[in-house]
Amino acid sequence: MPSLRQIRRKISSVKGTRRIMSAMKLISAVKLQRVQGLLLAFRPYSDAFSEIAKDLAFRCDPKWHPLLRRPQERKKLHVVFMTSDRGLCGSFNSNLIRRMETFLVIDAKAYEQVSFRFVGKRGRDHFRRQKVQVQVGEFVTAKSYIGVNERNFGPVAKEISSDLSREFAQGEVDEVILVYNYFKSALSQVITFERILPIEPEERLGDSRAIDYIYEPDREGVLNFVLPRYVETRVERALLESITSEHGARMTAMENATRNADEVIRKLTLLFNKTRQALITKELMDIVNGTEALRKGGVD
Amino acid sequence: MADKLWLRVITPSSLVVDEEVDEVLAPGELGEFGILPGHVPFITLLAPGELIYRKDGTEKRFILLGGILEVKDDKVKVLTEFVEDPSSIDPAVARKELEAVMEELKGFGGSSKELKELTRKLKLAQIRAGIG
Repeated sequence: MPSLRQIRRKISSVKGTRRIMSAMKLISAVKLQRVQGLLLAFRPYSDAFSEIAKDLAFRCDPKWHPLLRRPQERKKLHVVFMTSDRGLCGSFNSNLIRRMETFLVIDAKAYEQVSFRFVGKRGRDHFRRQKVQVQVGEFVTAKSYIGVNERNFGPVAKEISSDLSREFAQGEVDEVILVYNYFKSALSQVITFERILPIEPEERLGDSRAIDYIYEPDREGVLNFVLPRYVETRVERALLESITSEHGARMTAMENATRNADEVIRKLTLLFNKTRQALITKELMDIVNGTEALRKGGVD
Repeated sequence: MADKLWLRVITPSSLVVDEEVDEVLAPGELGEFGILPGHVPFITLLAPGELIYRKDGTEKRFILLGGILEVKDDKVKVLTEFVEDPSSIDPAVARKELEAVMEELKGFGGSSKELKELTRKLKLAQIRAGIG
C-alpha cells in the first residue's frame, strides 16, 4: 500500500496537470470563437466564387483560359495536406493522416506522380519520418508551411494558390486536391478531400449552355478575374476550416482530459482517505492491544 | 418574370446585403449601369465606385473597391473584397487622403502597372471625398 505522502504527492501532481488542461481548454474556446466568426462570414463568399467559377467552366471552352484546362489524362496529382503544428487535439491529425495513407495506397495508384504541399508540422513530420513508401511512380515532397494561424492564413493562401494556379496552368500538375478537416462543430470535424483543379463544370438546374452571359468588359477579363480568385478563396477557405477545426478539436480534447483528471483525483482522494482510516484503525488496535496486555499482566 | 431583384452583396467578412430590391446601379469597368428585373444573364467586373440600390422608394448607397457582379434569373450577386458605408466616412479625412494621393501622383515615375494601381487609389479617394 502506498504511503500517505506518496498519494498526496500524486494528487497534487494530477491537480497541476488538470489546471493546465483546463487553461488550454479556455484558451482554445476563446480562439475558436474568434476564428469561427471569420469562417462563418467567409463561407458564403467562397461558395459564391465557386458557383460562378463552376458555372463559367460549364459555359466556356477549356481553351479560353489556362485554368480551365481539362487534361485528358490525369497523371500528376498534387495534394495540399493541412494539419496542425501542435498536438493535444485528440484525433484531429491522426485521423487525417490515416486517411491520407489509405488514399496513397489505394487511390494514388492511378497516378504516375504524387506531389505534396504541407501546411502544419504534424502532417509534414509524419510523412517525412515514414519516408512514405508509396506505390506510385514518383513521390515528390514540395513546400511546407509552418506556423499558419488565424492571423496570417490570408497571405499564406495567396502564396499557395498563386503557385498552384501557375503549376496547373503550365501543366506541371494535372489535378489538385485539398485535404483538411471541415469544421462541422466543436465536437465534430469531417475529413475532406476536395478537388479544386481542374474546375468541375457544373450545370445549374434548368439551365443550358445556349444562354450565355454577356461579359463586360470582355470574357477574357472576367475569366482572368474570377479563376485565380476561385483558387485563392478555395485554399483560404480550407485553411480557415482547418484552423477552426483544430481549435474545436483541442477544446473538446482538453475538456475530456479535464474530466478524466477530475475522475483520477476523486479516486486518489478516496484511496488517500481509506489509507488514512486504515492507519488510524491500526494505531488504535495497537493501543488497545497494548493496554489489554498491560491489564492482563497486572492481574497475573 | 418577377418584378423584384434579389440582391446579395458578399464580402469575405460579411453578407452586407441580402434582400429584395427594385433596382440596382453599379459601377462597371465600362461605366455605371443599372439593372432592373428581367435583365439578361450578365457578368461584369466592377470598378471602385458607388453601388446604389432602390427599394420601395428608399435608396441606399455603398462604396466598394471593385469586384464582380453577376445577374441571373433576377438574382444579382456582388462579390467584393470590401465595402464601406458612405455615412461612416469623415469628409475632412477623406479630402486629406485624396490630397495625399494627388501628391503621390505628381512625383510619379514608376511602371505602368504601378500607375494603374495609383489611378485606382485616386479614383477611390475621389469617391470617398464625394467628388468622384
